[in-house]
Amino acid sequence: MSTDHRVHDIGGTEGWGEVPYDPNEPVFHDDWERRVLGLLFQVLPHTAKRPGEFRHALERLASEDYFCADGYYGRWRAGMEVLLHEYGHVDKAELDNRLGVPHGTSAGYRSANVAAVNPKSLPPDRNTPLPERRTVRRELDEPPQFQIGDRVVAAGNDESGHTRLPEYVRGVAGTVVKIHPAEVLPDSTAHNLGDRPQHVLCVAYQAKDLWGEDAEEDVVVNVDLYESYVELKEGVS
Amino acid sequence: MSQEVGHHHGSDPNSPEIRTEALEDLLAEKGLIDRARVDALIERFEHDLGPMIGARLVAKSWLEPEFRKKLLDNADQVLQDEQIQGAEIEHVEIKANEPGIHNVVVCTLCSCYPWALLGLPPSWYKSPEYRSRVVREPRKVLAEMGLSLDPDTEIRVWDSSSETRFLVLPERPSGTEELDLEALAQLVTRDSMIGVAEVKAQ
Repeated sequence: MSTDHRVHDIGGTEGWGEVPYDPNEPVFHDDWERRVLGLLFQVLPHTAKRPGEFRHALERLASEDYFCADGYYGRWRAGMEVLLHEYGHVDKAELDNRLGVPHGTSAGYRSANVAAVNPKSLPPDRNTPLPERRTVRRELDEPPQFQIGDRVVAAGNDESGHTRLPEYVRGVAGTVVKIHPAEVLPDSTAHNLGDRPQHVLCVAYQAKDLWGEDAEEDVVVNVDLYESYVELKEGVS
Repeated sequence: MSQEVGHHHGSDPNSPEIRTEALEDLLAEKGLIDRARVDALIERFEHDLGPMIGARLVAKSWLEPEFRKKLLDNADQVLQDEQIQGAEIEHVEIKANEPGIHNVVVCTLCSCYPWALLGLPPSWYKSPEYRSRVVREPRKVLAEMGLSLDPDTEIRVWDSSSETRFLVLPERPSGTEELDLEALAQLVTRDSMIGVAEVKAQ
């Protein structure tokens, strides 16, 4: 298991309090949240254009910026500051100068660099027809390697690159219950290493397998996993 | 909604208002953004998108069994037929609640959500409390949020870890037999389509 927990990968982690639930919550709480949303849609075409790239920027934030007091839109703004700095549009010191504060307030001072991912750790790329519209979906000639009902397990790894494999399912056996349309592999696209499209499996995990005997009764957690994440569980098919 | 760019939001340079405004000014000066397009995008997200799009699908599926079957079998085709387009619905699956089965949606790794069907996600959906706990103790989390399920009801949690997006098809409440599509759609809340609430007749 990973010793250096990824900041965003919090499924099943303990110690959190009650959900801050408000059934009548407005779409935005403050005007600045509106502006962050609107800005992001024009900043991304200048920066993180590839699938998974913006998510990886958020995942590289320091914990204090990821779980910042300004909430989700504060996290987005921090991610934008990192990307604008890295792509050479707004230096991380520039915003401080504008605000008239000592250098160091931008999330860019604290974020981790883009992880260096070894392409050999990824499944091989394959040629697929490029869709006419912009989409993560791809048509694969090869059928899925797994079938509905197969017992599979995802070993994962401790690399710091982008992945959509949640820590809480690593090493646990689940059952393939559905096969979704194929998609480009975000572990690759986020790092500019090609599409490497994969079939996507919906894998059902019994709560007791994930959390132990104290888990709640009659709970199934379904997680979508790119085919390259999993292997057949030995001894069962 | 055009925003006057003033510098009178208070004086703390690290407040989110001041910081966001300074960032926007810098981006505008560098020609990286167009403020009118920012305004237009906000307008669209705040007023044109929202749970009413998903609610109409739910209400229609309550009234038309054939539509319900199609929606559950191939939601992508239904969305295409209904000309529903937009962000975050590359592939959609609808999960129907029924007696003894309750579905609830989360994204533990970030905050994936079917924007084009429900609008922007609420803060609680994006909170670390919800993201971490609803996969480990969904029955308890739902009870805390006001939804106490029968102990025999199976809970199916859907973690949105690929680009598939999930929408819950809640059960139709009794006492709504006389209602038409529009009236039914009015009853269907955002939270019932995420799976943290039931639809109530009133």
